[in-house]
Amino acid sequence: MRLSRAWPAALLLVLVASPFFSFNPFYQRVAALVALAAISASAWNVIGGYAGQVSFGHSVYFGVGAYAALLVFTKLGLPPIAGAPLGILASLAISVIAGLPTFRLHGHYFSMATFAIAALAELLIINWNFAGGAIGMMGPATARSPADLLFRSALPYYAIFLAVLAVLLWLTHRMQRSRMGFYLRAIGAGERAAQSLGVPIRRYKLYALLLSGAFTALAGSLYAVMIGFIDPDSGFGVLISVNMVVMAALGGAGTLFGPLVGAVILVPLSEASNAILGGGSSGAAYVAYGVIIMLIARFCPGGLAEWWRVLTRTRRRRAA
Amino acid sequence: MAITRRSVIALPVLAAMPVRAFAAEPVKIGYIEALTGNAAAAGQSIKQAAELATEIINNPHPELAPLTLATKTGGLTNLGGAKVEIAWADNQGSPAVAQSDALRLITQDHVVALTGAYQSSCTLTSSAVAERYGIPYLAGESAAANLTERGYKWFFRTTPYGPDFARLYLDFLAAVAKTGMATSKIAVVHENTDYGTSVADSMVQTAAARGIKVAQRIAYNANGTDVSPQVLELKNGKPDVVIFISYTSDSILYLKTMKTLGFRPPIVIGDDSGFSDPSFVKSVGPIAQGALNRSAFVPGKPDSLTYKINALFKKKTGRDMDDTTARSMQGFLVLCDAINRAGSTKPEAIRDALVKTDLPASALMINYKGVKFNAQGQNTLAYSLMIQLQGDRYVPVWPTEAASAKLELPFKGWS
Repeated sequence: MRLSRAWPAALLLVLVASPFFSFNPFYQRVAALVALAAISASAWNVIGGYAGQVSFGHSVYFGVGAYAALLVFTKLGLPPIAGAPLGILASLAISVIAGLPTFRLHGHYFSMATFAIAALAELLIINWNFAGGAIGMMGPATARSPADLLFRSALPYYAIFLAVLAVLLWLTHRMQRSRMGFYLRAIGAGERAAQSLGVPIRRYKLYALLLSGAFTALAGSLYAVMIGFIDPDSGFGVLISVNMVVMAALGGAGTLFGPLVGAVILVPLSEASNAILGGGSSGAAYVAYGVIIMLIARFCPGGLAEWWRVLTRTRRRRAA
Repeated sequence: MAITRRSVIALPVLAAMPVRAFAAEPVKIGYIEALTGNAAAAGQSIKQAAELATEIINNPHPELAPLTLATKTGGLTNLGGAKVEIAWADNQGSPAVAQSDALRLITQDHVVALTGAYQSSCTLTSSAVAERYGIPYLAGESAAANLTERGYKWFFRTTPYGPDFARLYLDFLAAVAKTGMATSKIAVVHENTDYGTSVADSMVQTAAARGIKVAQRIAYNANGTDVSPQVLELKNGKPDVVIFISYTSDSILYLKTMKTLGFRPPIVIGDDSGFSDPSFVKSVGPIAQGALNRSAFVPGKPDSLTYKINALFKKKTGRDMDDTTARSMQGFLVLCDAINRAGSTKPEAIRDALVKTDLPASALMINYKGVKFNAQGQNTLAYSLMIQLQGDRYVPVWPTEAASAKLELPFKGWS
């Protein structure tokens, strides 16, 4: 049991540290993108994994964070990162406004409602000319001061993202062992049962959404800082939400490291398949990506975390 | 080089990516295009044109003189006949992917210059990487105005952009007004994402600068299935001119709805995209007779370069070359020409050569008046023609000296 825990931890540590020892800029960029995706997937995991409320509307938080960053730059001339606190504040407000009515819904109905909210938000942004409308906004073209966080190398971004991810995972870890963690898992396992045992379900779902939304918004701000451009599709597009869900599901929703594992697998996969196949045979990248997701859904729907648990418990049980 | 201490770690896929140590004889150029996603059709067409361009550069083609780089020997003559090689990257229509592409092409494939990247948003993010690395970037087809307003040192653009198109339409309308036709009441109908919005913005601003107020501006969703409210709104406004900035299925829908509702304005202009799509001509050509359009590429007479290039492209693909593909191909040729004039693959030398670019119209495979960059890197001699749908194809009708057919007004439509 001990050994089985030490292995993945050691592997993770090597992976986390490797970009700092690599001289390959593309590898470093991919590492930064992994960390960024892991932040939003882990943030989604709090409400979507632990509490079992499968949101397809988290792109709203991501978009709000990203737009906040570039709005403070375009309108006030501040460094984009200064928009991050505003994005988080806005995300808290959205959590309350959107969470209270949608939490009355259960299962697929909740997912559909969140999906609808995200679609609505994208339409609103497309028509909101103050924030660049359909064209979007760009960040500083060249660094005016170090606070603009424009680096040629992806390493500083990687370090920042990693720090944010560490804080988020630490909070999630604390939550997991606290009363809130138990409540959320109880809600995820069966809302009625939890309620009958006296769990204040709507209050705790809201707490989870506040935490989840805030970190997703922060991920959005960090994205805007690094990429330097945002438009309705890259901020509020449905793919943003889907990616969070798929990553968490692949690694194992409702587990601490599940979303991180999902990001570690999927982001390099999509970057590498684009690099290797993208130019030559167009579309092949999508095919590869799709096949892998199908395999996961067919053979380990509980995510890799589930698979790993089974594998370490009964070492020699292999089907056929 | 990219030999790192990460070889132990997972991700063998990444490690297996092509890493070329030393720039060998061939000159490698990074080409970022929308090879998959919404704009894949355009991206694939551009790819075929770029392959044609490399074929022309790398092999002897004296018959194509005075086209730049169409030589007796083939290859880049100032670089010892070095061949040009393209490293392709797919931007998938995503600004973030385009940025990854640029970084990968620069650091892994060691390209000497970049070109692309179709969507203006992708060109914006990928050229920011090139700027930080000090690698020349030439945009052949992206038309958003802000691209050349960033004060970048390494960014150049050969294509005409938003304000150029607006000026072309207004000049054309002014010329038509001299014949006694009313052209003062202009309606602009545009799809509501970045393409439609930005061109419509340029149109309204450029018109305002000339003291013309756009009478109606109607934004709509290109994925909608009914445009009768928009057509009725237009009908009530009784405009002299309607300018459509539309994609394919929506422009087809507009023509059909206009026929159903009996709305036939005297002048109809379609801004490239949808109106230029072969399926537009096929499905609504018979009811869109006399629709006007813009193009920077008109094949023209059989002895012209444009005609010869179009013939080669048609032989390769079975299609005529379209405006966007031609603009991209011309951009790529200008970049290769600059590398050849630089006689070096050093970024600084290529940039200097780009700055000094002064190509006459005769050296181009497109109908620009030439290629010469201003301080912002924008081609000041970029140019388009007005073309008109007559029968089953578009023919150049304005300006008169480039016209091969007579301008027929008012818009006939279905009669």
